[in-house]
Amino acid sequence: MFVIVTYDINEKRVNKVRKILKKYFTWVQNSVFEGEITLGKLEKCKRELLSVIEKDEDSVYFYEMEYKLVCNKKILGQEKNYDSVII
Amino acid sequence: MQKSLYITSNGRLRRHENTLYFEMGDEKKAIDIENVEQIHIFGEVDLNTKALNYISQYGIVLHFYNYYGFYTGSFLPRKKNVSGDVVVRQALHYLDREKRIFLAYCFVESAVYHMMRNLRERKEAEDFLVAIENEWERGRFNISNITELMGLEGRIRNIYYQSFNQFLPEDFSMEKREKRPPTNPINALISFGNSLIYSHTLSQIYQTQLDPSISFLHEPSEKRFSLSLDISEIFKPLIVDTVIFKLLNNHQLKLEHFDEDLNYCYLNQEGKKIFLKEFQNKLETTVRHRQLNRNVSYKGFIRLECYKLIKHFIGDQVYSPLKAWW
Repeated sequence: MFVIVTYDINEKRVNKVRKILKKYFTWVQNSVFEGEITLGKLEKCKRELLSVIEKDEDSVYFYEMEYKLVCNKKILGQEKNYDSVII
Repeated sequence: MQKSLYITSNGRLRRHENTLYFEMGDEKKAIDIENVEQIHIFGEVDLNTKALNYISQYGIVLHFYNYYGFYTGSFLPRKKNVSGDVVVRQALHYLDREKRIFLAYCFVESAVYHMMRNLRERKEAEDFLVAIENEWERGRFNISNITELMGLEGRIRNIYYQSFNQFLPEDFSMEKREKRPPTNPINALISFGNSLIYSHTLSQIYQTQLDPSISFLHEPSEKRFSLSLDISEIFKPLIVDTVIFKLLNNHQLKLEHFDEDLNYCYLNQEGKKIFLKEFQNKLETTVRHRQLNRNVSYKGFIRLECYKLIKHFIGDQVYSPLKAWW
C-alpha cells in the first residue's frame, strides 16, 4: 500500500519521530513522509511511534491508500526525486 | 514490495540515525532500510562494519560488481531460513543420476521454451525459430548425460544469438557470443544482464531453504553458487533478453552509452543507469498467476521456482519449470 505521513510533534520529541519514520518511508518535505509499505511494516512503525509520542500533545496522520496510482500526485515547482531506486 | 537498490555513483554507505545513508560528497540520501531487500553496488563505495552489522540485522543482501559491471561477490547475512532436511534431500537429487538429469532437463526445456517465445513474435527470425525447433526436437530424446544436454543447449543458444542480427538495429549486430571480455555492445549487454539476473536469483535463493551451491545443470564444483546459474537459465531469455530488445529497438540505448577500446566493450555509467531502470521495471511487472490467483511479479516468479524445487525435493510435487503462458 501507499502511505503519506504528516506529523506535528512537540520539539522535544520531534527528532525521535523523524528517525523512526525515516526507516520506513522516504522524506519528501518538512514533516512529510511518503512511500510504499506493507501492512505488517506499517503496524510495526505505528507501534514504534506510540512508544515515543505523548498522546495528548502530539499527532501523526497516516493517509493510507491501497495503490500508489489512487494517489494521483501532482507537483508544482520542484520535484525532489528521493524515492528512485538507482543512485 | 521489498525493493532492490542500485548504487552506480561513488560514495559511502553509512549507518546514521538508525537508518542507512548514502553520502556522495556533500549530498546525503536517506534509505528507508525497512523496505530494502538487496543492494547492488556498481560504484566505488566505502562502508564499515558498523554499516554491515546493521544491514545484516535486516537480512539485506549486498551484491558487488566490478568497474566493468561483472559480478564480484555478495555479502550474505547470517542465514535465518535453514533446513538441514531440505539440503540433504537436495543433495540426494544431485547424487542420483536419473534425478539429476531430470532437473537439468527441466531447466534447459524452460530456457529453450522462452527463447522460442521471444522469437515467435518476430517475423524476421522465423528461419531461426524453425532451426531451434528442429535442433531441440532432434536432440531432446537422445540425452544420456549432462554434458550432452549442455552441448544441445549451447547449440540452441548459438542459433538464438545469431537471430538477433535480424531484428536488432544495425549498430548492434553481433557475430558471435563473446564473454570475458565482451567485444561489442550487444555482447556487453548480454553479459551485464546475465550477471544481474544471476545475483537477483541468488538473493531469492537466499530467502529460501535451498543451498545455493548444490546444482544440477551446472557442476556444483565450479566454486560458485551454481544453483543460481541453473535457475537463471530460465529467466535469462524471459527477462534479460526482452529488456535488451526493448532498449535497443526503442533507441533508448545508443552506441554513445558504451565505452569501447581495442578489445573490449562495456556499458558506461549512463548506459548502466538506463539498463538498470528498465531491468527493475521488468522485475516489478506483474502477471496474474493462474493457480495462486494473485498477481506475481517477475521477481516473484524467481522465488516461486525455488519453492517449486523445494516441493520437488521433499517429494511433495514433481517439479515442472516455468513456461510463460502470457
